[in-house]
Amino acid sequence: MRMRRLAALFAGATLVISAAACGGEKTPTTPTTPGGPDTVNVGVIPIVDVAPIFLGESKGFFTEENIDLNLDTAAGGAAILPGVDGGTFQFGFSNAPSVLIAQTNGLDIKAIASGNGTAGDPDNDFSGLVVKDPSITRPAQLAGKKVAANTQGGIVELAIRELVAKDGGDPNSLEIVAIGFPDMVAALDNDQVDAIFAVEPTLSAAKAKGWSVLGSFATIDPKMTVALYVTSGKLAQENPDLVARFTRAIKKSLEYAQSHPDEVREIVGTYTNVPAEVRANMTLPGWPTEIDSGSLDTLADLIVKYGVTDTRPDVSAILS
Amino acid sequence: MKAVITGLRRVVALVGLPIVLLLVWWFASADSHTAAMPPLKRILKVFPDTWFGERLTDDVLPSLIRLTEGYCAALVIGIVAGVAIGSSRTVRAFVEPVLEFLRAIPPPALVPILFLIAGIGDTTKILVIIAGCVWPILLNTVEGVRGVDPVLVDTCLTYRVSGLLRLRTFVLRSASPQIMTGARQALSVGIILMVISELKASTDGLGYTFEQFQTRFQYPQMWSGVLVLGLIGVVLSLLFRFVESRVLAWHRGQRAAERTSL
Repeated sequence: MRMRRLAALFAGATLVISAAACGGEKTPTTPTTPGGPDTVNVGVIPIVDVAPIFLGESKGFFTEENIDLNLDTAAGGAAILPGVDGGTFQFGFSNAPSVLIAQTNGLDIKAIASGNGTAGDPDNDFSGLVVKDPSITRPAQLAGKKVAANTQGGIVELAIRELVAKDGGDPNSLEIVAIGFPDMVAALDNDQVDAIFAVEPTLSAAKAKGWSVLGSFATIDPKMTVALYVTSGKLAQENPDLVARFTRAIKKSLEYAQSHPDEVREIVGTYTNVPAEVRANMTLPGWPTEIDSGSLDTLADLIVKYGVTDTRPDVSAILS
Repeated sequence: MKAVITGLRRVVALVGLPIVLLLVWWFASADSHTAAMPPLKRILKVFPDTWFGERLTDDVLPSLIRLTEGYCAALVIGIVAGVAIGSSRTVRAFVEPVLEFLRAIPPPALVPILFLIAGIGDTTKILVIIAGCVWPILLNTVEGVRGVDPVLVDTCLTYRVSGLLRLRTFVLRSASPQIMTGARQALSVGIILMVISELKASTDGLGYTFEQFQTRFQYPQMWSGVLVLGLIGVVLSLLFRFVESRVLAWHRGQRAAERTSL
């Protein structure tokens, strides 16, 4: 009796573990009816930055390429990239440093298009390092203080450290605290941190408090590629046609978003709960169609400089 | 000879299943190419470098200190309040609905609220641990104190055993098996909350480390952290068993005596 129970337990455990091990090895594309559109799952973050793909979907740019979009929202690039690598998502959106770090740590990720860039103006970007204390007027004064970033090791943390370093402060003396964008204004208001690095629409809420902005992504590089659309190396090799069609559709969407800001402000309301008056006034990111590889090199340097990875990410491996 | 065999059987019982599970894990994951589920071989390979260095003092230790502080505070609050509530029917009737209400609130849900009230430092993390650990201890203490032997209550009255002496030698002692049950449940709750309280707005700790491994895509390191957590659980439960055997030595003796007298 006891033996049998043990054997059952063993069999059960094996089943669970092997099922878990197989979980990630889904077929890269959903089987589709001949001649019908390809259904693709795309992992996106419900933020302003991904407005072009929502806009492109509603304008029919993906249908034109025979692609049926299934947009899945996830909390962040850290959740999307393993999904792209494992095949849950055929495509995904993630901030650029996360893509570089993921590739360095063995995830099979390739960039296919730019996600979004800065607004181009260092003094009026969609991102910003914000302080409440009026006596702090330069990033260097933040040395040794607590600053909120949405995640550890992402583009926001890199930007905070680099802004302080560029201004002559010690970037390693900063204490970076992970606080989600929606909670940042309250955290700074209650003096739990000395500064926050926010993006729109949180940035608008912070500016509305009368707080000052000390720098942004655009201060580091006005042409910075902030985020990327990615796919897996496996899919790029097995179904180059699908990847090419998706890339065409997303580039068309980016172009359209860049030249139709009013429609962008409108569509953001369909997948976020940003109020209309905030949407009307917030600073939008830039949506260039091409990846600025020079800025990816800059980010790769920052990743090593601030110890996120030991080896420098290979930018060309992402772009090939 | 018999003692040796019994000893051997106990060792097999202790490590048998873990070894089987590790072997299953090892072979099932051996040729995994999914980055998020690396082979166990790689996980074990990164284990020493990941944990036997600065991380032990910079992250594991702060976590364990906060756990100890929160757990001990929960023990004191739970037992003191539990004795007070358990001793009086009036108090019990009065506070029970409120206790049921408070108990139903999952401590992780309190994290964002506590951030605003208590800040993002250690206080919030310890409060979260207390908020979860206190319930099993409190409710079990109430039950234990309520269930004291009425004959012994009368005996105490007759012999004029009262005050602290009564509390120490009678009430707490007869409730102690129940209190220990609550304390054991609270320990596992505490370990869970220790990690959860550190996931956001943290600058050190095991939860913070996990979050960092995840956002940096260091999956073998992340899995090795799961092993560390499991090991911490095993060590703490062994420690607890040791304390329990001391505290409840009389109880075990009494039960054995009762069994033989039947």
